Amino acid sequence: MRHSLRAIVLCCALALTPACASIGQPPVANPVAAAKTLDQRAYALLRTYAALVEEATDIVGDPATPRAVSRALGQAERIATPAAETLTVAVGAYLRAQADFNALSGQSQPALERASLALTIAAQGLNQAIAAAQAPIGELEHHVRAGRG
Amino acid sequence: MLNLMLQLQMLLAALSAFLPLVPSDSRVRVAEILDMAAKALAAGGVVAVNLDDLARKLADVRSEVEAMAAAGRVLTSEDLDAAMAHVRTASAAFRAALETAEAQPN
Repeated sequence: MRHSLRAIVLCCALALTPACASIGQPPVANPVAAAKTLDQRAYALLRTYAALVEEATDIVGDPATPRAVSRALGQAERIATPAAETLTVAVGAYLRAQADFNALSGQSQPALERASLALTIAAQGLNQAIAAAQAPIGELEHHVRAGRG
Repeated sequence: MLNLMLQLQMLLAALSAFLPLVPSDSRVRVAEILDMAAKALAAGGVVAVNLDDLARKLADVRSEVEAMAAAGRVLTSEDLDAAMAHVRTASAAFRAALETAEAQPN
C-alpha cells in the first residue's frame, strides 16, 4: 500500500514535470499584438487560429485525451471556423476597397469621396469581424491549453 | 524543456541499471515503480513536445507579422488565400481526427 502510494506520487511528479519546467519560460508569442494595421491583425489571427487547430488535432488524436476534452474542442472549433471564414470575407472586401481607393488618386472629388466611404465601411466591417472572431478563437485556445495543461 | 525530459529519462535508465543490486525481495516492486515512472515521463514528454510545437509556430507567425509591419507591407489576396487554405486544411484534419476519436470505444 505504502509502495503503491509512493509510485503514484512519483508518477504525478514526473507527469507534472513539463508544466513545472515551463514556469519561468518566456510567454508564448502573441502574433496579433505585433500587427500594426487591420489587415495584418486579421492575417495574424487567421494564422494563429490555424496553428491552434493543428494543436487541437494532435490533442484529439491522442488516445489519452479524455472524451470530454475532445468534445469541448470540437464544439469550440465548430464555432470558430465559421468566424474565421467570415473574417476572410471581410478582409477580402477591405483589400478591394483599399485597392479601389488607391487607384483613384488624382481622380475627381466625388469619386474619391465614394471610394473613401466604401473603404471606411469595409474597415468597420473588418474591425467587427476581427472582434467577432477573437472570442471563439480565444475559447479554442483556452481548451487547447487546458487539454495540454 | 525537452532537454530536461531527456535528462530525466536518462536518469531513470541509469537507475534501472542498478536494479540487480536491489535486494531480490523488493526488486520486482522497484522495477514496477521504475516502469510506471518511465510511462509517466513519456506522457509528459508528449505534452512537452506539443506545447513546444505550438509555441514555435506562434513565434514564427509573430516574426512574419512583425516583418510585414516593419516593412509596412499591405496584405495581398494571395496571402489571404494561403492563410484561409491553411485554416480549411487544419479544420478538415481536426474534424477527421475528432470523428476517429468519437468512433473509438470508451
